[in-house]
Amino acid sequence: MMQPEQGVLVSAEESSAARGLESSGGGNDGPAVVMRGLHQSFGSQVVLDGIDLSVASGETVAVLGRSGTGKSVLLKLIIGLQKPDAGSIQVFGQEITRLSLDAMNEVRKKMGFLFQNAALYDSLTVAQNVAFPLRRHTRMTEAEIGDRVKELLAGVGMERALEKMPSNISGGMQKRVGLARALALEPGILLLDEPTAGLDPITSGEIDELILKLQEEHHTASIVVTHDLQSARTIADRIALLHEGKVRIDGSFEDLEKSEDEFVKEFMKRDS
Amino acid sequence: MRRPFEGRELLRQLDEIGSKSLPVVALAGAAIGFVLALESRSSLVRFGAQSMLPAALVFSIIHETGPIVTGLVVCGRVGAGLGAELGSMKVTEQIDAIEASGVNPYKYLAFTRIVACILMLPLLTLAADFCGVLFGWIAETLVQPVPFHRFINHGFAGATFSDFLAPTLRTAVFGLIIGTIGCFQGMRTQGGTAGVGLSATSSVVLSSLFVILADVFLVKFILVFFP
Repeated sequence: MMQPEQGVLVSAEESSAARGLESSGGGNDGPAVVMRGLHQSFGSQVVLDGIDLSVASGETVAVLGRSGTGKSVLLKLIIGLQKPDAGSIQVFGQEITRLSLDAMNEVRKKMGFLFQNAALYDSLTVAQNVAFPLRRHTRMTEAEIGDRVKELLAGVGMERALEKMPSNISGGMQKRVGLARALALEPGILLLDEPTAGLDPITSGEIDELILKLQEEHHTASIVVTHDLQSARTIADRIALLHEGKVRIDGSFEDLEKSEDEFVKEFMKRDS
Repeated sequence: MRRPFEGRELLRQLDEIGSKSLPVVALAGAAIGFVLALESRSSLVRFGAQSMLPAALVFSIIHETGPIVTGLVVCGRVGAGLGAELGSMKVTEQIDAIEASGVNPYKYLAFTRIVACILMLPLLTLAADFCGVLFGWIAETLVQPVPFHRFINHGFAGATFSDFLAPTLRTAVFGLIIGTIGCFQGMRTQGGTAGVGLSATSSVVLSSLFVILADVFLVKFILVFFP
């Protein structure tokens, strides 16, 4: 297993003020995300049919479910890339479903998003990818941005790949850089879309450890969409299992193991 | 407009769209100038008017051939490039990632590319015009040696500033068309890699079509205001 360098990342609370960042992580006692009655359809296909889910500050919730049950759609609704047909989404107490683009962009600064395939900008180097949100949303100088980028990349074990292009690094490395970019603005909420998909078991384990380490250091609320039950067990405080557009069960891994629900039993059996 | 002004991205696009199009535009201008001189010569000789060749060549290149050839060459190179680049970014969720990080992708990606197209097309047209006239002189000299300065003096004898200005600035409209269509087609790509191919193709086809149509209207417009 990877042993990331300890103490490299400075905590959000210590460093954000000096960097001109409006830190949104930690220190907020209310729920980070509250979703109520979310509905989303694509044509005649109903994907989400009344989702109720909340995530407390500093809590990690894994969202599981079969393919095509709207797990990734859920994340895109939270970050505002899609608008729900009906329902409410509150991020740190602010209703986001009716926000203007400018207001939504302000909310987005409080969130970090790791896409399924990392979605690194392939015309920019690794360092420029991580610097991208810093250049646009902070008043940091180029030297400060350079230091912060090195710090973030060291935190994910990628400090030697600063000048590499995304196409020249492996999928696992791209995920690490994507994580560093997602953490650049010290978000209060991390949205991770299949962070271990397509990776070998060892790299998956390394990514899980990295997520755990970052959660300890940054105290962010996280919503992790995954197919990987073992990964969910490792990194999540709670697991929400989606089925037929609804949350079938929402509880700890042990709650899922003890559940008498036929679908939950089948899901747990297939994965084990 | 608020910070950031995306100056870094704009510079990158000026290089990508302008500097890197220069060789192919210059080559196209040179070829057209060379062929135009050869073809015009045989016609003019028939009427005993070969002394008019420099003026005919310069007038033809500056007024129509240079701008439209530059526009169509850039349609091919930049139109396809924008459609494919932004299309790939769309299907690999890079545009979503830009939006998710609180940055307007239209301002960051489309605005910079459209502005770069508008700024670079007139400059590329001047390069095509220069190469066209230069290779027109070379073609003429191969048949009947004539000093370059005399060729230029004859060619530009009757030309005024407005002869240059309106046709060259017309290509800024071509740049607007190429940039807007390329970005629009790229950013609305759907359907994976097949969609990227379709976006690149439709960018070239649509921008070429609209550049030709705009050329017709703008020539008429220019003739009204700069008779």
